[in-house]
Amino acid sequence: MSRPSVAERGSVLMLMPAAVLIVIVLGSIAVDLAIAFLGEREAASLAAAAANDAATAALREGVFRETGEFRIDEDRARRIVRATLQASSSELDGLDFDVRFSTLAGEPAVTVTVRGTVDYVFARAIPGAPDGIDVEATATAVARIG
Amino acid sequence: MNGDGGASPASNERGQVAGIEALPFGLLIFVVGALLVASAWAVIDTKLAAVSAAREAARTYVEADSATEAAAAGAAAAEEAMANHGRHGEVTTAFDEPASFTRCAQVIARVSYEVPAVPLPWIGGLGSITVASRHAERIDPFRDGIAGTAECPP
Repeated sequence: MSRPSVAERGSVLMLMPAAVLIVIVLGSIAVDLAIAFLGEREAASLAAAAANDAATAALREGVFRETGEFRIDEDRARRIVRATLQASSSELDGLDFDVRFSTLAGEPAVTVTVRGTVDYVFARAIPGAPDGIDVEATATAVARIG
Repeated sequence: MNGDGGASPASNERGQVAGIEALPFGLLIFVVGALLVASAWAVIDTKLAAVSAAREAARTYVEADSATEAAAAGAAAAEEAMANHGRHGEVTTAFDEPASFTRCAQVIARVSYEVPAVPLPWIGGLGSITVASRHAERIDPFRDGIAGTAECPP
């Protein structure tokens, strides 16, 4: 490495805008990734709340009183999940959900998957960059006698 | 201005005139860009806190023993959640309360918080943006401590 010649002293001025832009772009990427994280957390929160509501509110009470068995009314569970998602706010576009029913340790379980798209703020200004990111979260709730 | 201390510009400073505008222009981009990113970050960070606060408020509400106690406990939970995210300002918490504190009733918690539109060090900030979140939960139809039967949607 040789010392810069005196003729190159002014060249650092031209690097200044580039350096500033790099800092701003890195900050913008951090903000957009935080938005994606926010969307994932919202999806997880919605899925957990909806599964929790459906696991109890969709229980067939008549069957439970007669036989002591937990059985989920699947149609009602889907309506309850939809109502919970509609009543909550989120930054997710194209919010969609899927409800599955299974058995965990002999007890009926409701699994809710929530998916949607989170729009970026800064990446839209960059040609060719994605406008948003798809996020998805799944939660399972089991009704147990407490 | 002479780096060598002389009165006339030295030959090694000739290019400076052509590039000197880069400094104020770069500084301007930096200040405006930093304010934009800081503002966006403040809103997103607060939104993360508000989402958690609304969830905590709704959960606390539906697990409370009575309607009167539920609203106060839910608001306290929201404030605590916001404080744990470093937001110690005034938290506005409201509940779309059900007609009665009954089994299977849906409770919607709304949490809002104001953040400065342009965050500035020492001054605090200029303007304000309201960041809000809403979360719905249902009172457990089979929980104890509440009289009456569950009235879940058909």
